[in-house]
Amino acid sequence: MRARDLWERVATAGIAAQGAVPGLYAWGVTVVPVAWVRGGPVAAKVAAIAAPLALGAGVAGERVWGDAARIASLWAFVVASAVTWAAARAGLGPLHVDGPRGVAGMLGWALFAFTCAGPALRGGSDADAPVTPRGQPSGRGGARVEALCVGAGALAAALLQTVGWKVVGTERALLVRFVALAAGLAVLGAATEVALARSAARAPRSSRSRLRGATTSLVALAILAAGGLLLLTAD
Amino acid sequence: MKLVDLLAIALVVGAAAAFFAGEVAIARTEDLRALYWLSVGAVCVRAGVQVGRPGAKG
Repeated sequence: MRARDLWERVATAGIAAQGAVPGLYAWGVTVVPVAWVRGGPVAAKVAAIAAPLALGAGVAGERVWGDAARIASLWAFVVASAVTWAAARAGLGPLHVDGPRGVAGMLGWALFAFTCAGPALRGGSDADAPVTPRGQPSGRGGARVEALCVGAGALAAALLQTVGWKVVGTERALLVRFVALAAGLAVLGAATEVALARSAARAPRSSRSRLRGATTSLVALAILAAGGLLLLTAD
Repeated sequence: MKLVDLLAIALVVGAAAAFFAGEVAIARTEDLRALYWLSVGAVCVRAGVQVGRPGAKG
């Protein structure tokens, strides 16, 4: 019964509060040990303290300002963590971040990204209701495709974290980690949005209308592809 | 599932592959190549989400 009460409480807390739990875990494993290394700079400690405060502000702000506050707090948390790593580069040496801790931190960040990208948990009678009451039901096959999309996104985000663990040079290693983190969040967020959009409470648009809405991005992609081919042939 | 849904999924998969190539390029200190692949990844993510959305908010 108590577990159910706890579940109800977590379910009503919102995405920011649910994301704060794995976020605090990732912060505790990968940011705190780096910031409080012996002789570490004050800027690293200040940024390290600012990171969980950003999470807390997101939890409080989500009730007032909604998604905007959650997204702002998410990126403030990530940037504060990156500033900590940048300011306390000595703490990123192999003596301070060993293999197991690196893997634990990677899992923590992946869980944080997954929680922030997905919809909030639902509890009580709401748990049995469809995700989008006014939307089209996904059906068994649809739900399977959605789960596959989100799973593939999570796998891709995890694969992105496997690059650059043996890079020589602290600045370069730091840059690879930050880019990997941002890319993982972007891919997981996009995969979740594409998966959940299929059953969202929205008026359906025709394929042509959807393609027209993405014209600018698709043209930019075509220009980049043409540019890449030109550079490839020039080499 | 419509063809545009498959296109959206392909664009997100392409974004992941481009980001991966960008990270490898950064790790090898090939900065121009990294910038190119990261730009491709960002545009792919944007296009994937725009194509994947089935409609305006109802």
